[in-house]
Amino acid sequence: MSFDYTGSAYAIRDDIPDAHREIWRNIGQPGNWWRGEDRVAFVEESRNARSCRACEKRAAALSPEGDFGPHHTTTNLPELVVDIVHRLTTDPARLSRTWLDKVNAGGITDEAYVEILGVVVAAISIDALHRALGLPLEPLPAPVAGERSGYRPPGAADSGAWVHTVQPENASEAEADLYPGGRAGNVISAMSLVPDAVRMLKTLSRSHYLPMRCIMTPGDNAGRAISRNQIELVAGRISSLSDCFY
Amino acid sequence: MLSLSARSHGDTVDINGVVAGDEVATGIPGDRALLAFAEVCLGDDAESIAGARGQVMEELGEAAMVDAACIVANFQRMVRIADGTGIPLDPQMAAVTAGLRKDLGINGYSAASLTPEPGWAARLLARLMKPFLPAMMRRRTAPQKG
Repeated sequence: MSFDYTGSAYAIRDDIPDAHREIWRNIGQPGNWWRGEDRVAFVEESRNARSCRACEKRAAALSPEGDFGPHHTTTNLPELVVDIVHRLTTDPARLSRTWLDKVNAGGITDEAYVEILGVVVAAISIDALHRALGLPLEPLPAPVAGERSGYRPPGAADSGAWVHTVQPENASEAEADLYPGGRAGNVISAMSLVPDAVRMLKTLSRSHYLPMRCIMTPGDNAGRAISRNQIELVAGRISSLSDCFY
Repeated sequence: MLSLSARSHGDTVDINGVVAGDEVATGIPGDRALLAFAEVCLGDDAESIAGARGQVMEELGEAAMVDAACIVANFQRMVRIADGTGIPLDPQMAAVTAGLRKDLGINGYSAASLTPEPGWAARLLARLMKPFLPAMMRRRTAPQKG
């Protein structure tokens, strides 16, 4: 069984491995724009990025643009895709619209990019929890063969982000589950160009952070062992250390 | 959210700890241990992480440490979603936090340029609405199910 925490030195809530298994299953499946094996390779490259000399050089450089040598890679993903995954992992605060334009010019559409982002951030989050708890990383998910759906949600439009998003008022029936209250913050709708990326985000947020119904209720800690003040202190510190303005 | 959470409980919290780290006593129980844990978890030094983990457990207990680790993990995801899609701050949040962001110095972050500064009318309205914000946010999300 994957994500078996019964041998962990610490008691881990049951909803956490449940969420992780759901995400791992999802990652292994064919997506809208990528095959299952590609999506698993994104996870592998995200792990490679943490020991990548080129990424280390780039992170230390004043500008993220330049030649920092080849990435440490173990997959057959195209060079540009490897670079996207490594940047998302090791230097996200210096991504820019100009950079994404170059990604698009290299043949990666916004839709394909958002799917990469959705997989990478889910895997980073799960791996981060394992590191924080001193647990070994989970073996990669098993890829499932199958066709990409090519689905682009009909309500996707420019909402001021670099990529199109589906705003709650434009969500079709297929995306109605993304915004059950009819409203959502920009960070929730950010990846809605690939609706399953939002579904993965919600699954993980529910067990790692708070259920959606509690998030905008200041003071509600959903029965966690730390108070909402303590939760937001840690959240704010991670955002600040990551130079994240949002 | 920290500011709103503290206000909803009537707690006095120094939110500068979010930016300054453990140099600031925030008034939140276990703050230094939590901040230290958050910081080392962004790196790869397993020994430092283990030490910080032990400190949180000693001060707040095992379940608190696990929940804190979950928050660390969650926000390593959220920052990348925000940075990777170039989303601006939500307009209401931008108006309400205009002064706070200036005080904390986070308007210098590169992504700050994605959010237009709210005009004087929006800032004034936000200031007037601030005491009612926790209740408004509760009402806004009441129908949602987890």
